[in-house]
Amino acid sequence: MVKKTSLAVSRRRFVQGAAVAAAATVMPRRAFSSDAVVTISSPWGADRPFQQVVDAFNARQTGVQAVNRLDGDYQEMATQALASIAAGRPPEMMITGWKFGYFARRTLGARDFREVDAARAEAIIGQFRPQVQALVEIDDALIGLPWAMSTPITWINMDLWRDAGLDDDIPMDVPHDWVVERAQAIRAALDGQGHPTYRSALDLSNNEWTSQAYIQNAGGFILDGDAIACDSPEAIRGVTAFAEPVRAGLWTNLEFRTQRQAQLAGNIAIVTTSSARSTALNASEFEFRGVKFPGLGRPRTMNSGGNFLAIYAREQELAEASMTFLEFCASAEGQTIWSDVGYLNTSIHDIAPKPNQEAAYAQLTDGLTPETIWPGSRGLEGQDVWRQWIARVLEGVVTPEEGMVRAKAELEPVLSAG
Amino acid sequence: MVRQPITWQSLAPYVFVGPAILFVVVFLYAPVLFSVGLSVFDWNFIRPEAPFVGLDNYARIFADPNFRSAGWNTVLYCLALIPAQILVPLGLAALLLRVRAGWVAGLYKAALFVPTILAYSVAGVAWLWLFDPLNGFFNTVLVWAGLPTLRWHTDPDLALWCVAVVTFWKNFGLNMLLFLAALVSVPKDVLEAASIDAAGPWRRFWTIELPLISPTFFFVAVTTTMGVLDDIVGTIDVLTEGGPFGQSSNILYYMYQRGLGFFQFGQASAAAVIIIALVIVVTWAQFRLFERRVHYAR
Repeated sequence: MVKKTSLAVSRRRFVQGAAVAAAATVMPRRAFSSDAVVTISSPWGADRPFQQVVDAFNARQTGVQAVNRLDGDYQEMATQALASIAAGRPPEMMITGWKFGYFARRTLGARDFREVDAARAEAIIGQFRPQVQALVEIDDALIGLPWAMSTPITWINMDLWRDAGLDDDIPMDVPHDWVVERAQAIRAALDGQGHPTYRSALDLSNNEWTSQAYIQNAGGFILDGDAIACDSPEAIRGVTAFAEPVRAGLWTNLEFRTQRQAQLAGNIAIVTTSSARSTALNASEFEFRGVKFPGLGRPRTMNSGGNFLAIYAREQELAEASMTFLEFCASAEGQTIWSDVGYLNTSIHDIAPKPNQEAAYAQLTDGLTPETIWPGSRGLEGQDVWRQWIARVLEGVVTPEEGMVRAKAELEPVLSAG
Repeated sequence: MVRQPITWQSLAPYVFVGPAILFVVVFLYAPVLFSVGLSVFDWNFIRPEAPFVGLDNYARIFADPNFRSAGWNTVLYCLALIPAQILVPLGLAALLLRVRAGWVAGLYKAALFVPTILAYSVAGVAWLWLFDPLNGFFNTVLVWAGLPTLRWHTDPDLALWCVAVVTFWKNFGLNMLLFLAALVSVPKDVLEAASIDAAGPWRRFWTIELPLISPTFFFVAVTTTMGVLDDIVGTIDVLTEGGPFGQSSNILYYMYQRGLGFFQFGQASAAAVIIIALVIVVTWAQFRLFERRVHYAR
């Protein structure tokens, strides 16, 4: 005979157990730990220097525990942030692209550091150079730690350069025409020769950032204050120069991911892209040299880019805990660890530059403008409109003149939406 | 009138069906109704105020050249993919049925069905490598053959067709299996009788097999038409993100970009309502036009 086993549980015991289990599930983690936990939504995983910053901070045992949460690229992070804010549980902090500044403040509600703690805010921002402090002031609010700055520069693959028989003596200040001529020489020397890695001579990066640099170096602007100025003669001259290498067959117009892989694989001889790519390029099997972004016969007006670290915590206690993490990030120790990522050192701390950062620092010293921060509630759409018109110009679907006029016409209602 | 007492037996059907109905109401009908409501407001989910804008969201997206372009692309995708995703799997299933060796048939079935079970992210990475304009497999073959290379998914004229090819490759397997299952169930005695009457393979297929599998054909036609919009979105997202300049987008991806790219949920909802209306109209037309040709009885 099989003996039946039974578990006698009274209704009271069952209800008590269920209540304990439910409480354990819904109670915040802080109830089990004395540390305040601040979650940082970021585009970097555990293998990147940001995680080292987080780990070094946690090792200090300040009573605040930072958690790095990889949430994808800027766009995906913004989407997740919006969803979590709508659900009433925003991440305490988020890495936010410069170009999303208005969106971060006006839509996502990035906190004003001074409103959280004025004295600590001034101490934190005081750790950074004066010229970058204005970049994180949106609507008179200090909304970010300006710690991740880059600028587009020209990267030359020296192995391909030498294989094409070109001289190693490359000036730091390279004009656009000089770059195009060298690209033509490389193509003439290597195209169709069965070179093991060479595939394309030039890539100026099909995006809103390098096109802005060309326009500004020609003396124009995409936005002049709140006014759209992309149809000015100077802006059109910049876009014309930008698109010229595609028309000449020097630039195989690739999308971002393919271009990055191709550059690292030694396929493209000259690429204009972020100075922050230095870490990856220095670690590659090819020799790369960084020089300034192509000039257009007048002093450059280069733009910056990158991201800032903003606070979104609604509770004062968590916002203050976030400030504790920011204090570490702004410190000499935090900045030294962070500098491994390849961004420019924008702090006042004396940190040795990494290899191949000379051109980017030279441009920083010359002065950098912000990258375009698209205003209004439809600002994100504005950026997309701009990218589409630049892509059309590059593809030769429209002339630079027509493209800029039509871009302005499409941007006006988008940016005037308030 | 005597009211019947409520018994367990009378309640049981509702109890069993209840959770399923609740699920459908909460996760299907309620969001649809919410979208219809949201489409007349300007809201981003977190702004405290959500002004009523009437039909402005509809007017705005109809005036948007990107929506018109996405709409035209949707027509092209449908014209290319719906016939391909029905007829090619049908042909493959008919051929597979005639493969005699069991293990060979199994090998073919597995090989043809594998793309269907691959994640879009995995399939996308593989196809990105195949299409890579500088180092990709296809261009390597073109170079080897002495032909000019192409930019594939980064070329505005080719991007849409690259997306269509990948979407087809990813989705035809399920339809093929459905057709194969239907063809296997066609009574052998009917086919044998036709053979005795000297009907050739094509005639047997056209006059016996196809009418007998018409319920499956109709099911595949309806689900493929409804699914083709959705199936493309995964491919677009992985392969082109709608580019270059919207040349490979479709109206569902347009809706996705409005909502989760630009956080204009009112406009995204308006686009969703238009898509729902289109799907309802097309499905209704399919039922009206084709259901009478379906032979349900055997």
